[in-house]
Amino acid sequence: MSRMKRVYSWLDHRLQLGKPLLEMAEHPIPNRTASWWYVFGSAAFTLLMLQIVTGILLALVYVPSAGEAWNSLNFLNHQLTLGWFLRAMHGWGSNFMVAVVLIHMAQVFLFGAYKYPRELTWTLGVFLLLMTLGMAFTGQVMRFDQDAYWGLGIGASILSRVPVVGGSLVHMMLGGPIIAGATLSRFFTLHVFVIPGLMLAFTFLHVWMVLKLGINEWPMPGRVVRRSTYMAEYHELTEKDGRSFVPGGVWKDAVFSAAIIAAVAVCAVVFGPFGPGGQPDPTIIQTVPKPDFFFLWLYAVLSYLPPNLETPFLLIAPVLGIAALLGLPFYASEGEKSWHRRPIAILALTTIAVSWGVLTHLGTYTPWSPHMDAWSGGPAIPARFLRTASPVEREGAVVFQAKQCRNCHSIGGYGGQRGPALDDVATRLTGDQLIRQVLQGGGNMPAYGKNLSPAEVTALVSFLQTLHPANEPSAADAAQSVTGH
Amino acid sequence: MRNFLAAAALAAGCLLSGCGSHRLRMNSEQPVTRPDQMVSFESLYGKNCSACHGSSGQGGPALDLNNPVLQQLLDDSSLRRAIQDGVAGTLMPAFGESAGGMLTDAQVDALVKGMRARWATAGTMRTAAQMPPETTTLIGNASHGEQLYQMDCRSCHGGARQQVTDPTYLALVSDPALRTILIAGRPDLGHPDWQTVAQGHAASDQDVTDVVAYLASLRSMTPGQPYAAQPQGEQPTATEAAANQPTTAKRKQSTGQATESFKTEK
Repeated sequence: MSRMKRVYSWLDHRLQLGKPLLEMAEHPIPNRTASWWYVFGSAAFTLLMLQIVTGILLALVYVPSAGEAWNSLNFLNHQLTLGWFLRAMHGWGSNFMVAVVLIHMAQVFLFGAYKYPRELTWTLGVFLLLMTLGMAFTGQVMRFDQDAYWGLGIGASILSRVPVVGGSLVHMMLGGPIIAGATLSRFFTLHVFVIPGLMLAFTFLHVWMVLKLGINEWPMPGRVVRRSTYMAEYHELTEKDGRSFVPGGVWKDAVFSAAIIAAVAVCAVVFGPFGPGGQPDPTIIQTVPKPDFFFLWLYAVLSYLPPNLETPFLLIAPVLGIAALLGLPFYASEGEKSWHRRPIAILALTTIAVSWGVLTHLGTYTPWSPHMDAWSGGPAIPARFLRTASPVEREGAVVFQAKQCRNCHSIGGYGGQRGPALDDVATRLTGDQLIRQVLQGGGNMPAYGKNLSPAEVTALVSFLQTLHPANEPSAADAAQSVTGH
Repeated sequence: MRNFLAAAALAAGCLLSGCGSHRLRMNSEQPVTRPDQMVSFESLYGKNCSACHGSSGQGGPALDLNNPVLQQLLDDSSLRRAIQDGVAGTLMPAFGESAGGMLTDAQVDALVKGMRARWATAGTMRTAAQMPPETTTLIGNASHGEQLYQMDCRSCHGGARQQVTDPTYLALVSDPALRTILIAGRPDLGHPDWQTVAQGHAASDQDVTDVVAYLASLRSMTPGQPYAAQPQGEQPTATEAAANQPTTAKRKQSTGQATESFKTEK
């Protein structure tokens, strides 16, 4: 015992770390802040550590070269004992980290914790969020499969829209005119050295400030932040109604962090690693690349924007968004912290969360994208639509498939969702209206008049006219009953 | 506390067993193959054929491939040609890379072999040797074909719903395709094949050729007129009968003789 103590005092005499560490552990926190609401920051930190450890282990096997990356990931997935689990932990850790960082940010915003004197903590936090997203994007590139390839293509095309210097920026990002080995080397450097290094430095400062300035107190309506009096009020609060961080608050952080790691492990075991998908080969066009979930909303936004708004949105909106986040603590550094007295903040957060959720949901099933295989693959038109079909109507069903109508229009629950489902189209359009729609198009539908022969149109329309429920008559031209035609 | 321990043990057990089974699955799964390297019949058929020909080769809108007679009628080269280059005069598109499609030669071969393995049942044909060949050198006699049609086809196709004499239908199905259906039938729709289509005897090469010639004679120069083709159950009006006239005239021309009985019946 005494020897241990001697070693400790020898070290501490030189390092001088014992006292500051003890101070940190014992720094007072308000009693009400020792709450389950304050665990997300530490969980994000734990996930960062998890990512670093799993990342180092992955880097032992991963080969950052365009020719070998894909193979080395498949080696990890299929040959190396528990290699798949390592990849799954890193992949799910990344998803959880993005989610936890976003929740942490929302909670900090909701609790007004960015106000004086914690403006800089928030500012660093904004950069940490951007770096987390940067890690997520560069990590997706590490997979170097079709998603990565086309994700890079989309990233490059976004960058190329920057006026004047766009071309040079793309060249810099890709390390040449095309997506190739140099691109992967660049993203490997970013993913493994540059961003993690910056992240660690920023995280250290971020945590340092939290410890030195004290954790945000529980917001109470009417307890207004004023620059002149805040520090004194805060110290009074922690002295009167506070406890020391260890063990008063730390156990909740520890339990939640452990639960998050367990959740990552469960997801990793149950859902397995992400990809790699198909080979990153631009000659393979049978691919439906999709970004990872935190970028899906962008995918949906771009699909719905009118083309002439794309460039302004892509170049101006992120700048405004980041500027708003950075400017927030300086604009509102004093005043109420409680959400009971900040309706605009609540509305803004709700709007952002709901829009993000809706756009992400749309991004997962892409109703605007044609289903390019539906014309030839997948289930045939269900038998109930063809049971009593005449030869012409049956040929019409073949026209429906062969001319790729089904890529945009679903029938029997299968097919594209870009156009309306046609299961009961005959109740909506008469034969003449169907012919006109096929020949001339309209709405978002192109005109097919030049691509179909008259026989094909007639057969197709005669098939479409059978598509109505048995108990519901098909649409009819009211004039027909009068004129007899 | 005991409950907690039991729950923890259960959770750990689930985790471990899940872990084990998952690892097995991961190890047995192959990495994603390139689309042009894929030669598994199931995935090729499911991606390229099933939407028209049905997931199990029948019940789709297009020709049923799960038909032993059809599999016997078409030899490997014509099946391969149909997949690779499409079938002219029908809606079957070309799938071979050489014709602008996505399938390599190896993949087309895999499709042909797969269909043979699944849907051709060798040796079950009673009189396979007498089956009319896929193509013929015989000259069709349309008037004899019409007689055969009246005798053997009209009982089903004369009804309002099953008209195959509709010029719109005939414009979308070529002569060889008509011949294929006549010989191989469409068992999924209850259409008989060459052995059972005629009463009392199997249809000969000449019979099939004649019926095809008759149907071909009904083709219109201007198929797909949306208003000329009145639903067959209704009585055509005088104007519509006149509109149908060119078809009949053409039939007269090509067959050389018109059958009054058919016209009056119609």
